[in-house]
Amino acid sequence: MATYHLNAPLLDADVTQLKLGDMIYISGKAFTCRSRLHKYIFDEGNKLPQAVENRNVLIHTGPIVIREQEKWKLVSFMPTSSIRFEKWGARSVSEWNLKMIVGKTTMGEKTAQMMKQKKCVHVSPQCVSPNLWNESITIEGVELFDELGSIEAVWCLDLRDLGPFVVDIDCEGNNYFDDLYQAVRLKREQALAELDIPEDFEYTKLYG
Amino acid sequence: MIPTNLYEQIIFETIRKGATVVSEDVKKAFENSIEQETSPVSKVGLEMTFKSMQLSAVKDNPACPDTGWPIFYFKVGNECQLEGGFMELEEASRRAVIKATEKGYLRSTMKNPLTGHDPGNNVGINIPNFTYKFVPGGDIEITYVAKGGGSECFGGTRYRMIAFADGVAGIKKFVLDSYIDATRAGAICPPSILGVGIGGTANIAANLAKEASCLRVIGSRHSDPMVAEIEENLYGAINHLGIGTMGFGGDVSVLAVNIEYAYTHIAGIAVAVSCNCMVARRASTRILSNGTVVSMQSPDWFEGR
Repeated sequence: MATYHLNAPLLDADVTQLKLGDMIYISGKAFTCRSRLHKYIFDEGNKLPQAVENRNVLIHTGPIVIREQEKWKLVSFMPTSSIRFEKWGARSVSEWNLKMIVGKTTMGEKTAQMMKQKKCVHVSPQCVSPNLWNESITIEGVELFDELGSIEAVWCLDLRDLGPFVVDIDCEGNNYFDDLYQAVRLKREQALAELDIPEDFEYTKLYG
Repeated sequence: MIPTNLYEQIIFETIRKGATVVSEDVKKAFENSIEQETSPVSKVGLEMTFKSMQLSAVKDNPACPDTGWPIFYFKVGNECQLEGGFMELEEASRRAVIKATEKGYLRSTMKNPLTGHDPGNNVGINIPNFTYKFVPGGDIEITYVAKGGGSECFGGTRYRMIAFADGVAGIKKFVLDSYIDATRAGAICPPSILGVGIGGTANIAANLAKEASCLRVIGSRHSDPMVAEIEENLYGAINHLGIGTMGFGGDVSVLAVNIEYAYTHIAGIAVAVSCNCMVARRASTRILSNGTVVSMQSPDWFEGR
């Protein structure tokens, strides 16, 4: 497993070299979103703000940001679960020209296939460490604050070596967690035996 | 009589502490897990998480930006006298949640489930939520739980009705399979605290599971030896699954397995699971009948466990 320090906006070559399990740190321009922005753009027919058009690193997150002495102050940041945006995932990769999505809980098959087509990766945190990340993030501005509210607004960020994150979907559409999950499934047999659950155990069907 | 301004202030402080300071039992669980973990990615994950959690107490900021559902548990003495009564206790709790949101200790996370309306202060119909337990005496013990969305929404909370014919094997299998599903790709931020509720109606089992995951002291065992043995068995078996930190593979897969139970109907056994994030956030404070405030290291909802 290799470690990379990348600069955004990212080029195809930056992301095609990445393999599942590689560690990355990211610097440069990024933006944030949650459900409301996806809905606002894809379901309600609005346009992505111009300020993010040249940003190709998207972070799924709803940070805590407060206004202090006329400036935005980041209180707490942690990537959130990407899987809940799966419905809009492929369109976000394709129409927003993304090269990297940062989030937890990986994404589904449709988004992975679009990532393969458009050369984009998904990366996940291995920890919950907001205080180790806050100093790597400067808030440059915010879009759609009034329309979407503080958490779901589009925060434009400048990152300085933010990470580490682990590559969990590569540019070939492979998912790191598929193998990890299979390994756990294999150990399930042993766990069932340890719990004295008979191999031929079947639930009594009570309804349905 | 405990004055309103005192309990309102203590409720606010308990929210602040719950969101920013990690309890002693959670700290100890992290220290033990870091020592045990041999997978480098999971070990570093635990170390970074623990370091960030400890910094939150110093920096006075939330240990995770998802400050979750605001949930209160009040353990109230039968003779407890509160100025304004229990309706005022709930009003004061709502005011404290609003203040904690304004000050950035809580993120404005609560929304209308149908319209998406965000009140901006975490207060809406049935939120915050209140649970009461009545005990002898005149004190009140206030527990605030910041119940994270990840551990709730991505498979960490489930329910199943099990036939008596399927018994303990059926219960254990349901718990094991639910946990395996919920930890794929680190969905519920493992190693989690797994709570199990057995018996009662579906909602009784679900409430017990939530209390088991959020209020039990990590490392404690149920006072009923049979229940304690099931806790021990599940804890051992799940920690052999190799789930690791955030699902990246490793030795530590669950921080605790806590079971609470209720008697049930001859027709069937309700079983519910409820998981709490590894960054488990809750705090408790006791106000004695004479107004003395006692800070607590972890909740005492279950009388010593």
